[in-house]
Amino acid sequence: MNNANVTLTLAPAADTCRPLALTPTENLKGYLGAHLGRGLLFFITFSSVLAVLLILVFVVVRSGAFFSTSSIVEFLAGRDWRPTAQEPVFGALAIIVGSLYVSFAALAFAVPLGITAAVFLSDIVSWKIRNIVKPFVEILAAIPSVAYGFFAVLVLAPWMQKHFGFSTGTNALNASLILAVMALPTIVSVAEDAISAMGRELREASYSCGATRFETIIKVVIPAAHSGIIAAIVLGMMRAIGETMVVWMASGNATQIPHPWWDLSQSIRTMTATIAGEMGEAPEASLHRSALFAIGVLLLVLTLGMNVISEYFLASAKKASGKT
Amino acid sequence: MNQRTRIQLDHLFTAATGASILLLLLVLIAVLGPMVYRGSGAVFFSGTVEFRKMQRDLFERADQPALDAEIAETEKVRQAVYEMIDGFKKDMDVEGMSSQVRQIYREFGEELRQKDVPAEQYTKLRELTRGIRDKLEAAFQSQDVNEISRTVDEVLQYADDPRLKDTSAAKLFEIARNFLQAAQRTDLAKHHEYAAGLQEVERILFHSDGLPGLLGPRPNEPLPLLVMLRYGATRWDQAQKLLDRFLWVEQWVQTEPGRPLKMQRTPRADLFPESFRPLFTYVEQNAGGMLNPISTVYWQFFKDDNANSHYFGGIGPEILGTMLITVVGMLFVIPLGVISAAYLVECASDGWVIRIIRMGINTLAGVPSIVFGLFGLAFFVLFLFPLLGFEPRPCILAASMTLAVLTLPVMIRASEEAIRAVPQSYKEGSLALGASRFHTFTAVILPAALPGILTGVILSLSRIAGETAPILFTGAVSLGAVPDSIFDPTRTLSYGSYDMAVGDRLAMMVPHNQYGMVVTLVMLILILNGITIVLRWRVFKKLRGQ
Amino acid sequence: MFVAKTYSMPEKKDNMQITVPHRMSRKSQVQTVVPTNHRWQTDTRAVNDTEEQAIIRSQNFSLHYGSKVGVKNITMDIYPHSVTAIIGPSGCGKSTFLRSINRMNDLIPHVHTEGRLEVVGQNIYDKRTNLVNLRQEVGMVFQRPNPFPKSIFDNAAYGPHLQGIRRKDELQYIVEQSLRAAALWDEVKDDLKKSALALSGGQQQRLCIARALATKPRVLLMDEPCSALDPIATGRIEDLMGQLQSTYTIVIVTHNMQQAARVSERAAFFCLGELIEYDRTSKIFSNPGKKGTEDYVTGRFG
Repeated sequence: MNNANVTLTLAPAADTCRPLALTPTENLKGYLGAHLGRGLLFFITFSSVLAVLLILVFVVVRSGAFFSTSSIVEFLAGRDWRPTAQEPVFGALAIIVGSLYVSFAALAFAVPLGITAAVFLSDIVSWKIRNIVKPFVEILAAIPSVAYGFFAVLVLAPWMQKHFGFSTGTNALNASLILAVMALPTIVSVAEDAISAMGRELREASYSCGATRFETIIKVVIPAAHSGIIAAIVLGMMRAIGETMVVWMASGNATQIPHPWWDLSQSIRTMTATIAGEMGEAPEASLHRSALFAIGVLLLVLTLGMNVISEYFLASAKKASGKT
Repeated sequence: MNQRTRIQLDHLFTAATGASILLLLLVLIAVLGPMVYRGSGAVFFSGTVEFRKMQRDLFERADQPALDAEIAETEKVRQAVYEMIDGFKKDMDVEGMSSQVRQIYREFGEELRQKDVPAEQYTKLRELTRGIRDKLEAAFQSQDVNEISRTVDEVLQYADDPRLKDTSAAKLFEIARNFLQAAQRTDLAKHHEYAAGLQEVERILFHSDGLPGLLGPRPNEPLPLLVMLRYGATRWDQAQKLLDRFLWVEQWVQTEPGRPLKMQRTPRADLFPESFRPLFTYVEQNAGGMLNPISTVYWQFFKDDNANSHYFGGIGPEILGTMLITVVGMLFVIPLGVISAAYLVECASDGWVIRIIRMGINTLAGVPSIVFGLFGLAFFVLFLFPLLGFEPRPCILAASMTLAVLTLPVMIRASEEAIRAVPQSYKEGSLALGASRFHTFTAVILPAALPGILTGVILSLSRIAGETAPILFTGAVSLGAVPDSIFDPTRTLSYGSYDMAVGDRLAMMVPHNQYGMVVTLVMLILILNGITIVLRWRVFKKLRGQ
Repeated sequence: MFVAKTYSMPEKKDNMQITVPHRMSRKSQVQTVVPTNHRWQTDTRAVNDTEEQAIIRSQNFSLHYGSKVGVKNITMDIYPHSVTAIIGPSGCGKSTFLRSINRMNDLIPHVHTEGRLEVVGQNIYDKRTNLVNLRQEVGMVFQRPNPFPKSIFDNAAYGPHLQGIRRKDELQYIVEQSLRAAALWDEVKDDLKKSALALSGGQQQRLCIARALATKPRVLLMDEPCSALDPIATGRIEDLMGQLQSTYTIVIVTHNMQQAARVSERAAFFCLGELIEYDRTSKIFSNPGKKGTEDYVTGRFG
């Protein structure tokens, strides 16, 4: 190979070099381009923050009419929600309790199941099987909420009525079960990440002391991953509280607090279902509509609070796994 | 505790975890299974001749000559049914007979006047026929066969009267004779019950005010206004249900006092006299001949609009609406998400600005979907649109923008992870060759981050296509025309499924359409997911060098 | 004292012999491999360095990341059409200095520099430097081969494409020339559309060299180009350096002293961010001026 000839064609021009200094115009163009470009990107990225601010502003503003005329105490503590009566009463306690009730019940079903499933995926099976099973858990997450609601109303409710003898199939139990199924993928996913992130060294240390896998997981791994697991639970709770379609279709929409508190067979109503259900009836710029926005504000406050809590736990989970 | 117990506990635990995953998978099957099974009935079923008639009329698709032949054949089989019913009706139709008799009396009087019969004879004949008429009317009202028999015999004495023979009055005797035969055949005491039962039978076979019948309206009857009443059972499973209702009467009876009521089934034929019972066996045996069910694959379900509130037809506009909203939503969310992620990775320096942006993204991820609906209504529809000169009404654009904001955090997170995962060496290599940072990003980093970005696309797509709450007030309607532009509201699969699930009795009558809609939604999402997963796999392999 | 041991560099790279020095004790005899037919022994052109115009001049150049020192007060001239090796223990600033020459250190946050660093007469740390042109004049090959996840053709054509060359035939010509120059053409000419990541490590590195050459640079910076490669691939690349030297200026950072001795005419010894000694390779290895240099090349530390 006569490489000498070859390299000559690729040789740089003998006398002249490409200009290594920028002309003033080039300099200006470059400067402007870079800074304008950055500015544009920044603005686009800031749109997320903008969206949050706008959401807060618009929802709060529209609820202003309600908060300025009615007492917050009555709103939060009153049990009667009668917006269309002659003398409208806006007591949202039963509705608030309804939301919390189904969410906690859903967690009661979903957390044990979710964490054991997460442990299964992280510790019990091989990588290959995990990668085969995970997509199925993700399919559970991809199914839209209206499909779950559909199932709850048309399949689960009649079944429940027939087999358990409830007076109605759309009740707190129905809604809780479906919410549990919907929260599961979130819980399994986040918990599994947290448990896997603990690393082999932690487990090896435990095994080398003679512990069984059960003991290792229960006594060592899960306590070490507790921040991530708590974050998973809080995220699941957020999913449950924020869900609209399923509870609207399956909870029965009765504004009441279940009388023996453990009686899940009674119908309840959630904040989300109230908004969705009554929005169509409330005329534009009416007190009723404003009250619905007020419920929206309440929902926002709750979920943002849970968001902050879950962020805190996720951050401390990161720190924990960083150390180990 | 001792060694053995510990080991047993360990095995138990392993089994428990395995059981939990199994339970999850079982739940998945339990939720999807029944829905897919019932939903598939929207496309795969046995369609009757009524179905094909409906397709011809409403959707203009028919094999005309074959259909005509089929209709002719089924009508032939149905003829017997019509005849049996008409016959029984006639027997039962005392009012009809009464008015017929009165009519004949009037006609006869008319005839006499025309013939210019002398006054004396006129009065005599009129009196005679009046007498016959009154006797017959009394007989019609009577329940006693013997009494009827006597009366008819009396009337028939005049049958051969030359003055009445060959006149319109002769018909009176025919009626009398028929009536006697009918009275002998049927139990007149039960006449009212029979009439009511017959009405019910006709309702089930042909149509009632609110429900379609087994065979549809009779050929020469005026068509009902409601489209769904114009046809008989279009599906064989539907026909079976109607057949069951036709053949059996269900009643709740109290077998023992103080205990819940029980359902009792008796054959409907028992309600009618012997003479009428052959109808029931005939219908039972010839239902197939009258309806001609054939296995049908109604793939146009995905194309057709619905008729009569989803009683007939398909979900074409709903699918179109969902796809439109999804595509427009993705057009917003993909660029916004990728660009934001690019900024966060490439340009952002640590500082409070970045922390605020991240907080914003995480907060956005936590907002409930119904609150997004409120926001979409308050901001896009009622504030932004008037500002930009559009009409402040819900439409596809508003719904898409709302959904885009909803899924923005998902897209940003996935894209950011993908871009961060691209090896720094690519960036260095590109910059060292003199590429600008922008060119490096678009020509090297972005293509390398494509698999991760596609993951974000998958997740966003699923949410946008499936979410219902945000579009309730911003763009979705349950009834409405197919949208002309993105400034129109639209029907969607998600909202439509909700509508069908909690809808009125009409929706419950067509479970295949109900389930068909929701299963189509789920399948659509799973298919879109599947396509993107395959795409991602291929890009991933290409990036690896295979 | 050193004992020079010769070995021959055969035409075929397959049965090349390399002698690895033993370190028996601090004061032991070290065998340094010195090839006989290396250019610097026969090349008369580069002897008189006072007459050469330096292509890269560094004058009291310093670079800091935040509070940490990268390099301090580097003053050296690099001459055209030569191979200059930068040697020294790890963390001594060799790569930092090399990357300063094409301003790749700009990627590191909180970086600031002092002094002058001139390339072809232009102080490249002036605010008005045309970075695009600079990086096309001063090409770089990295420690780990980093071809883009694109085809071989697209990798090699990346640079020329940036320069605005869009015509297919022109690009094809340049790609072929650069692949030939990198001694890779014969191995890949049958399938240029194959993904670059499917090549072996040595081939990938030669592709990176071809990619760098395609922009027709004057200077080629090589940051430990062979450290991730096996000996055979290493030998090929060292050969390549010899062939390229007549056209380009090559600056190579290496932690392998024998490699430095094999390929370079001049060598600079860095330690703890400072330039200790810069002189002809023969002198550095046989009769270093500074104690530190001697300690390093004799293997007493590093």
